[in-house]
Amino acid sequence: MGEGIQWSPYLGEMKEEINQLPIREIKEWNGHDLTPAREFRTSQGYGGFMAYGTEKVEKIGIGDCVINGVVHYGLCTIFPSEDYDLPIFVSTWEERENEITFLVDLMPTVDSLIDEEYRKRYFDSIQRLWERYSNLPGICPEEDDVIRSLCSIVYNAARVPLDREGMRLAALAPHTEYLKAYLGFLKDVSPVADDTKRKELKRKREAIRQTLRAHYEELLKGPTGKALGKDISELMIHMFF
Amino acid sequence: MARVDFNDMINLGGEILEHHKLFEGIELVRLEKYLGMDTSPAWDFKTPMVTGFYRPYIIKGSDKIEKITIGELHYMKRAKYCVLTMTASDDYDLPYFSCEWDETATRIGVTTDFMPVVDIAVHPKYCEKYLSPLADLWRKYRTIPGFTKEGRCLLQRRWERHPWARETLSPFCLDGKVEEKEDRYQVLLATIEYAKVWLDLLKKAEPIKDPDYKQEMLMRKRTMQKYYRDRDPGGEIIQKIFGEGNRTLFVSIII
Repeated sequence: MGEGIQWSPYLGEMKEEINQLPIREIKEWNGHDLTPAREFRTSQGYGGFMAYGTEKVEKIGIGDCVINGVVHYGLCTIFPSEDYDLPIFVSTWEERENEITFLVDLMPTVDSLIDEEYRKRYFDSIQRLWERYSNLPGICPEEDDVIRSLCSIVYNAARVPLDREGMRLAALAPHTEYLKAYLGFLKDVSPVADDTKRKELKRKREAIRQTLRAHYEELLKGPTGKALGKDISELMIHMFF
Repeated sequence: MARVDFNDMINLGGEILEHHKLFEGIELVRLEKYLGMDTSPAWDFKTPMVTGFYRPYIIKGSDKIEKITIGELHYMKRAKYCVLTMTASDDYDLPYFSCEWDETATRIGVTTDFMPVVDIAVHPKYCEKYLSPLADLWRKYRTIPGFTKEGRCLLQRRWERHPWARETLSPFCLDGKVEEKEDRYQVLLATIEYAKVWLDLLKKAEPIKDPDYKQEMLMRKRTMQKYYRDRDPGGEIIQKIFGEGNRTLFVSIII
């Protein structure tokens, strides 16, 4: 089962966008050598995860892996530097023979109900993308309640049935389009000067980071983490969150 | 698509109070004044175009409630606009319970939710305490045809044109358009079950102790109220029916 599946080009397509930035590899994070995760192979899987830095960004984590030949995972996160109010970019990808489950979002780093300028700047401007993907087969709310509680009003999640040719690429489109939009925001964003706003940003950014970290630590205690091995699983947490 | 006659449309007030006895064991007391306004014009109204009521209550002997509003507006024997909203008083951080629907021959448009009064990404324990009890119900009812359509679950998309409103919704919101008669009753059951959970949370609620947290909560609560009172498209309809002078009273009672 699963032999010969032509996996989607998740990593290639996402990396192509990120490569347009002047990125530099982050080889060490908080005292952890990240390089063993660049390319790995275990008895149950193979893949590679990398972290990058660039101007206005704390880190970009990106990578993918295939487990037991039956599931292809992709992940990309972008945490902005603390001087900027950018949302946190999150893209998750779980591809199987017959279905792709995904989430892509720009998680707000302020209370975007109260801060309307923030909402207009980052979310109203990509509303047309959000509307477009409401027609994607399998579109649905993010299944995990905790992750859903972090999401913006323009997140897209889906369980896309792969019952027609072209569906793998159709499912990938929201990720690349949201990433392009995010990189556009990154280009234009200016530092936040107001101390109160900076405190708010820091508080929410760290709250989201902790929640995502706890979620993925729990997830990696399961079969996927066992397939990747303890060392790679731990490095993933440092790299992505 | 089934068409539902006006006489067969759901009377939310009657269903809540008489059929499902949602407030059994609770004594609802008429709220005579709200924000300094006499509420009596909203209690029962009749114009050439509409009949109905928006009735705000408090709970006898409880300081936990700002108001509970039950309302129905019957429009020219063509449509019904119904609400059930429950708002905790300012010393409590319970989410807003909000159910509003408009029913016509062809469909119900509905939003039922516990709108959080704090930023739940910053306060994950709030989510655990007040919203997670909805998880099973949300999973049960999100499959109602209309909420889910042609393999797509379209929750959180009803307020497509109103991003400010989407910002107020929780991760357990039930919203969308439901057409078939039997499915409309499923929406009613979902609303009743959500409301029961809210009333159970109300019983257990303790006053807020942290003044900073309270200030943060009130800021979000007031912002939500202001958005709905100023911007909800229903406010325009209310104004056309009851006149500009009554708009503030009606929309304030409703949300």
